[in-house]
Amino acid sequence: MDAGLLTCPDCHALWPLSMEGEYCRRCGAELHVRKPNAMIRTWALILTASFLLLPANLLPIMQITSLGHQQPATIIGGVIELGSHGMYGIAFVVLAASVLIPLGKLLGLLIMLAALQLGWTTNMQQKMAMFRIVHWIGRWSMLDIFVVAALVALVQLGNIAQISGQPGATAFAGVVICTMLAANSFDTRLIWDRHMTQDTHTDEQRADT
Amino acid sequence: MTPEQAELIACHECDLLLQRPIILDSQAARCPRCGSTLISARHNSIERSLALSCAGLILILPAVSYPLLTLELMGNAQSQTIFTSAMALFSDGLWFLALLVLLFAMIVPACKLLLLFWVSLALHLSIKLPGMPFAMRSYQHLDEWGMLEVYLLGTLVSIIKLSSMATLLPGIGLLCLGGLIIVTTLSSSMLDHDLFWHQIGKKQHE
Repeated sequence: MDAGLLTCPDCHALWPLSMEGEYCRRCGAELHVRKPNAMIRTWALILTASFLLLPANLLPIMQITSLGHQQPATIIGGVIELGSHGMYGIAFVVLAASVLIPLGKLLGLLIMLAALQLGWTTNMQQKMAMFRIVHWIGRWSMLDIFVVAALVALVQLGNIAQISGQPGATAFAGVVICTMLAANSFDTRLIWDRHMTQDTHTDEQRADT
Repeated sequence: MTPEQAELIACHECDLLLQRPIILDSQAARCPRCGSTLISARHNSIERSLALSCAGLILILPAVSYPLLTLELMGNAQSQTIFTSAMALFSDGLWFLALLVLLFAMIVPACKLLLLFWVSLALHLSIKLPGMPFAMRSYQHLDEWGMLEVYLLGTLVSIIKLSSMATLLPGIGLLCLGGLIIVTTLSSSMLDHDLFWHQIGKKQHE
């Protein structure tokens, strides 16, 4: 940016700053120095995901009907049930995918926003590594949705046993998608612009660009 | 791009401007400031991508159409494919979830393989096919939304959940899905984005 160049978001070609808003001549992507409204979009998606966490965990994700006996199942309930059958390994995998990863992801994104807005920039290399992990691991939270999809497809035996999906699962999928989109819309370069180049550049220069 | 710009490279995570490093086969360049991977060169990236996308396109048909699992209980049998699991959610009124399962476990992986096949075929034969930059960009954007491996893990968890109450028989689909996941994972790790864009850029100017 300071060298009068901007990077194409998709093919990483370098173009002069004057091409802001135009399209990359190599790949056709819209060029921006930084991702537009990165901070606001990330905040909006984080808030949406946090609100959706409530119905996702409180509402049942599926309903198990066995010999006329109906029983709703929540995410936590499923983990506890696996644990009570002594399957601690698989219970931990489900717990990690459906509780720890979404919460950890929200926390990780909040830490990155704090780095940007409050200047928490100690150990920036570790924070960047954490952000890359957060970005990569997010898709694994869809695990519980696919478990429900598999169970619902398999257990369709009329009165003997029947499993049906419930709205909690939709809310949970919403959490996963919002956190994935939030990680995508965040622009880590903003942190480096604002805090990590202060010894060489003044605030005035930043306001110009 | 001017020649000077082609000699430079900017880190896409912290925007540090660097001289384009000379990368040998199978080496990777990392940003010295933030540690992100700038370029990751792969041996025979184009040929391997072409081969893996062909293999993937062959495997995806049985993986999607053959049953992954069959549940047997008191003389009743019920099979699961990716499509029927989406349809079962749809019939429970969860059309949004059904759409997500269809997208993440069928449509996106299939599109990714087709797009990769298209781009790597054109680059391998060094011909210019229409829509190459668009195909490559779409591939990059779709990359993280293909969730076959998560779907497989979900199916395995459901096996464990159901194993105490019913008999479960793995189908051909499960094997093909496993093979497909190996192929797609390899193809993402073998893809040299920098090389692909460089070659696509050359084709654009011919």
